[in-house]
Amino acid sequence: MIEIEHVSKNFGKKIVLKDVNATVRAGEIFAIIGPSGSGKSTLLRMINLLETPDGGHITLDGTDIRAGPGLTLDIRRKMAMVFQKPAAFDENVYDNIAIGLRMRHVPETEIKKKISDVLEVIGLSGYEKQRAKTLSGGEMQRVALARAMATDPAVLLMDEPTANLDPVATGAIEELVLRINREFGQTVVISTHDMLQGQRLAHRIGVLMNGIFSQVGTPREVFALPKNKDVARFVGIENIFSGRIARISGGVAEIESDGTVINAVTPLPAGTSVCACIKPEDITLHLVDGSQTSARNVLDGRVARMTAFGSVTRLVVECGIPFSVLITWKSAEEMGIAEGKPVKISFKASAVHVVEDTEVRRP
Amino acid sequence: MGYIIDGLREAFHLIVSLDPDVMEITALSLVVSLTATCVATAIALPVGTAVKFTDFPGKKVLINLIQTLYSLPTVIVGLLVFLLITRHGSLGFTGLLFTPQAMILAQTILILPIMTGLTISALSGVDETIRDTIVSLGATRLQFLTSIVREARFAIFAAVAVGFGRAISEVGAAILVGGNIAHRTRVLTTAISLNTSQWEIGTSIALGILLLAIALVVNTGVSLFQQR
Amino acid sequence: MKKSILMLLAVVMVAAAIAAGCTGSSGGEATPTPTTTPAETRTLLIATTTSLYDTGLLDALKAPFEQEYNAKVDIISAGTGTALGYGENGDVDVMMVHDRVREDAFLADGHGIDRRVIAYNFFVIVGPESDPAGIKNMTPEEAFATIREKGLADPADVKFVSRGDNSGTHAKEKVIWKTAGFNYTTDITNSGEWYIEAGTGMGATLLIADEKSAYTLSDIGTYLAYKDKITLVPLVSEGDILLNVYSVMRINPEKHPGVNSSLAKDWINYLISPLTQKTIEEFGVDTYGEPLFFPAAGNWETMGVNRSEVEDPVV
Repeated sequence: MIEIEHVSKNFGKKIVLKDVNATVRAGEIFAIIGPSGSGKSTLLRMINLLETPDGGHITLDGTDIRAGPGLTLDIRRKMAMVFQKPAAFDENVYDNIAIGLRMRHVPETEIKKKISDVLEVIGLSGYEKQRAKTLSGGEMQRVALARAMATDPAVLLMDEPTANLDPVATGAIEELVLRINREFGQTVVISTHDMLQGQRLAHRIGVLMNGIFSQVGTPREVFALPKNKDVARFVGIENIFSGRIARISGGVAEIESDGTVINAVTPLPAGTSVCACIKPEDITLHLVDGSQTSARNVLDGRVARMTAFGSVTRLVVECGIPFSVLITWKSAEEMGIAEGKPVKISFKASAVHVVEDTEVRRP
Repeated sequence: MGYIIDGLREAFHLIVSLDPDVMEITALSLVVSLTATCVATAIALPVGTAVKFTDFPGKKVLINLIQTLYSLPTVIVGLLVFLLITRHGSLGFTGLLFTPQAMILAQTILILPIMTGLTISALSGVDETIRDTIVSLGATRLQFLTSIVREARFAIFAAVAVGFGRAISEVGAAILVGGNIAHRTRVLTTAISLNTSQWEIGTSIALGILLLAIALVVNTGVSLFQQR
Repeated sequence: MKKSILMLLAVVMVAAAIAAGCTGSSGGEATPTPTTTPAETRTLLIATTTSLYDTGLLDALKAPFEQEYNAKVDIISAGTGTALGYGENGDVDVMMVHDRVREDAFLADGHGIDRRVIAYNFFVIVGPESDPAGIKNMTPEEAFATIREKGLADPADVKFVSRGDNSGTHAKEKVIWKTAGFNYTTDITNSGEWYIEAGTGMGATLLIADEKSAYTLSDIGTYLAYKDKITLVPLVSEGDILLNVYSVMRINPEKHPGVNSSLAKDWINYLISPLTQKTIEEFGVDTYGEPLFFPAAGNWETMGVNRSEVEDPVV
């Protein structure tokens, strides 16, 4: 549905987008995730013709959106965008939603029906006469979503729509996005810096970093198999160790990182510079009492730091290299974990995700 | 002190009895300044919008100039218009000198800069996201401009009120191009000036009260409109 | 008046409609300023010296004229200097002034024609009742010289307020200074705090002089009209130099096409008519106990003008 080909954009000397390529398929929710300032908004704005790319093309259903100035309005009217900052026109809710339809000269009777429908969807039925400026941020954003939806866009663009909202309002918006996608088959392109939101909403995720899509794939692919160190770090994998594959034995690679050896499964040959990525939740913590484990990797260390992390405790275990490990409060208590206590950690070789370390290869 | 009390008493009487001269002067003031405000609005709104939403070299300089002219002295405008419309001036053939129309012209010129400038400020005050939203919804150029102006309407209305206030309260231009002719070009401010020099304190106070009342009504109207 | 307000209301509505129509359009089309509409009744525009206006004489004279000629008389009250300026530009139809010297120049330059003398009275030197300079019953020239001398010595007590607006009264004042042997520019203006230039009309000047307990030169008409509002008293009122002659003239239509010349003729002839002359003679007697103006009719010798200037109708 949307093809993004070799798109680049500079603001002055600052290169924001270098060479962006992606395809958005009809009916999917495509999430653009990336750190702040990675160009997510710029990319969305270029799709919506609010910004002009310096290079490359964007096509919508096979038509270059910049084919000609006469086309701009047509293309724009096939899309709708919800912006990061909740903002409402200084009108009542009805007029706020009607504005796009009125621009298209839709008859008022039809507008009325449409608005009643979308208000139902966003859960604000009966709010027609309310002045939109008096709504909460979350309600305003829902009205913005309704305003966009009312025009029946082929593509709904959402630029960090929940970045300024509290968790409850965020939940409401996320639910709505899922619902309109499921019920109406709405194609959605949403940007977010919250990878968990991307994971919750998206069919596919594009990780926008350093001016390119570092990885495009399903949430599972991106989170389980990040393509490189940066993606791995961004998607929240805390244990990332640079090293070299010292040798391969029996299908298992031995990766040397700062004197510590990590066993992992990888197709890469010996001698390759790699990063070993291990999710904290894949690591098991043991006391030094000598209980047995079947894991390939068993390392001795001591607890260097303990910090609360939501409903669990996050430990840093120093084993020559520092590992992040998660453990429930209860377990921590039972095991008598304290800073300085000697412990063992273990994890399977298959839990280690190995990516080539491209940084080392760079001259 | 006595003359103030007497003046107030007389003023009260003149207003309550709807003194024909006082009413006529008030009505003419309203007509002249309202017309000037309407004409200035009709110019300032499109010009302000055009300046705000088009890029051209010297735009900053122009906006600076407009802001400088906020405090354009009324007698300078009066002098300028007088020189234009005196019989041997370039607009002398219109025979406008010493007519209410001449006062309208002068007041329009007087308030045009501040109304244009405040229109530009009003349009600049529209939230960036709202601007993006309008464009994103597929607005034509005209739809974009009308939507922005509509969104800024309260601030623009305030600009109009400021213009009207400046128009109705000025005396320098009105006396130079209007001549303060009784029953023809005598407005509240010029009448106050004349009546005070004739020591008709009661009439002056009455006219002053009416001038203040008009300002009060306009300001109340604006704030009511904005709170709506 | 009602009619013109209606006209203006129509203009307002048109302007408002234009304003509404322009809302939001980006075009810079300027709305033309409404132009004047032809009046059905003829209008005569008179520039007058303030004394004739502030005394109320002109208002009294214009009403019967408006009725008789189905005309409207608009009056701009300004000093003689300003009135002459308007006349030179052809911005008014008729001028009523009181400065023979400048009138002569104005006529010689061809701007004005058909001057007729309509009334006269006298200037008076008025001042505080205490008369700090002690000028009472002096000749005007002596009085002025004394005021200057005492004023220079003691500006806190002795002051003189001048019209300072190039009016006829101001011109007369300068003549008196000159006759008294002073150079107006070097000896009087800027000579000290005692000499105050008001830059305003006769009535306002009297009010200023009253506030400051100062001397001033006023025409007797305006002084009498303001007598109840101020505490100044006449101190010097005798002397040929104090004669004050009011004239009317119309603007030369050959030099300034567009002036309302026929109505201007009617106005001049109306002013010199016996009936109007009688009105002038009686004006203010009821209120002030004495006339503010003397009619010109029959008094050409007193005023030192030709009989024809007083009696001959304009044709």
